[in-house]
Amino acid sequence: MTPLPLLLTLSALLFVLGLFAVLSRRNAILVLVGIELMLNAANLNFIAFWRYGPPVADLTGPLFVLFSIAIAAAEAAVGLAIILMNFRRTRSTDLNRLDSLHG
Amino acid sequence: MIPLLLISPLILLAALGAVWKARPVHAALLLALTLALVAVLYLTIGAEFIGLVQFMVYVGGVAILIVFALLITRPGDEAAELARRPRSLAVGLACVAPVLGLLLYAISKGLPAETTVEANPALPVQALGVELFENSVPAVLAVGVLLTAVLIGAALFARETGEASEPPASR
Repeated sequence: MTPLPLLLTLSALLFVLGLFAVLSRRNAILVLVGIELMLNAANLNFIAFWRYGPPVADLTGPLFVLFSIAIAAAEAAVGLAIILMNFRRTRSTDLNRLDSLHG
Repeated sequence: MIPLLLISPLILLAALGAVWKARPVHAALLLALTLALVAVLYLTIGAEFIGLVQFMVYVGGVAILIVFALLITRPGDEAAELARRPRSLAVGLACVAPVLGLLLYAISKGLPAETTVEANPALPVQALGVELFENSVPAVLAVGVLLTAVLIGAALFARETGEASEPPASR
């Protein structure tokens, strides 16, 4: 097996694990954990295609990963701030209790 | 190739733990382990700079942020989490299995045959810097603006307000 399919399979499994966490967890912070796993899987794909894909001269893959990491950090900060703000109101991080906008 | 085969199962095991552990703090620490192992993977396959950035931003920043958020919020009801395990496993697997099948099918069918060529050259950091600060300056500036907005927004969201002392019983 060459590295590219191996890395892509690893990334697919990581993505699926993250998706499972997002769908099955009830704690909002652990849903963020799943989102981080999915973002990492996407980054791994960029690196795998850049390194082991058809020969490329430019550095689009690593560049994209750098920007993606910056945006993932921003997303985690804002997500946790929203969770904390809601925790202060409801004393809970349970997603099932986030229903104040429910009609 | 050998380090890849050694690290990949470890990454998957750590990620499985992060997804499956009922205790939130254990899950967050296993997430930190997963991210660190992915950084090691980057280091071994020739993307050293990306690996170091991953270490600093993900392991040092995001994972620690998540651990702190868990520490200052109240832990969820662990017994309830364990009680609804079978149902959440069934629902999660039902939703996730088609996605996994599709991804694996695409990997097995979609790759061109000539991907078995030699690896491309490892990441030249100097070229990356030139690319970043000469050819993608607008993108760098945009990310700078975004991060500033995030800093201000997160501080606004998380700040203590007067209405915070409202008793939870009044809901």
